[in-house]
Amino acid sequence: MSDSIYLIYSLLSLSPWIASLIGTLIYQNAKKETLLQREKAHSVLNGDKLSTLSKPLGGREIKEFTTVMASVVMSPSWIQITIGRIVTLFGGEINVFTKIIDWARREAKQRLREDISKAGFDEVINLRLETSIITKTNGGNDKTSGVEIIAYGTAIKY
Amino acid sequence: MIVNVGNVVQPPITMPFTNIETIPGQTIVQSMGVVTGSTVRAKNIFKDIGAGLKNIVGGELKAYTELLQESRNQSLYRMLADAQARGANAVVNVRFTTSSVAGGAAELLAYGTAVIVAPMNIQ
Repeated sequence: MSDSIYLIYSLLSLSPWIASLIGTLIYQNAKKETLLQREKAHSVLNGDKLSTLSKPLGGREIKEFTTVMASVVMSPSWIQITIGRIVTLFGGEINVFTKIIDWARREAKQRLREDISKAGFDEVINLRLETSIITKTNGGNDKTSGVEIIAYGTAIKY
Repeated sequence: MIVNVGNVVQPPITMPFTNIETIPGQTIVQSMGVVTGSTVRAKNIFKDIGAGLKNIVGGELKAYTELLQESRNQSLYRMLADAQARGANAVVNVRFTTSSVAGGAAELLAYGTAVIVAPMNIQ
């Protein structure tokens, strides 16, 4: 009797970790694949619409402008946080976190691209990227963590 | 003036602001000093619990993305109100910076230079 209760208890306590494993392997990869398709639709590799220059190239005249912003909060899964903690013991690059931050930046930039093409702007100049950490701290044990990215710039029409 | 990503209210003050050094097509007549606007905002406990559950699988935490959008609009509004109070009609070189002061809360600071601009053909 007590054995079966223990079994049920251990299965219940393991279930978020199983969900985390499935989420890391399937959900995150599916989302990244969708992001890649969205980036391809905006032909990022030949002629990106975003630039960090303060003036449009070729001295073109700016007819219309507006400030645009996009933000995203990404979080690593429990599995990734655990891997990150283990790698921290040995030092070196923490690959799981690099991937999450890279994903968040790509997502924020892609939102800017979709946003300006919907509003009919040609280009974003003077793009800036801001990063910071968001955490929910209810005592020391809380695992919730995320990285917030804000991408902003000036959208222009030639 | 803002193109928003989500369903967020636009600031009621309509004043041109850019993060480049000039307002295109206009010339800067006078600088009115640095204007800032900042806000520290948090989501409610239910949204925090939802974000905590989403955190298990990783990926985007939509509640916190929303929180950022709300707070950046609030800080922009405060910055523009500051500029308006100084009698400026545009803000140039706007910068945003974020930090986390407390758990579950986000601080967003917007700052820039308030200026008086005039159309180029007047001078």
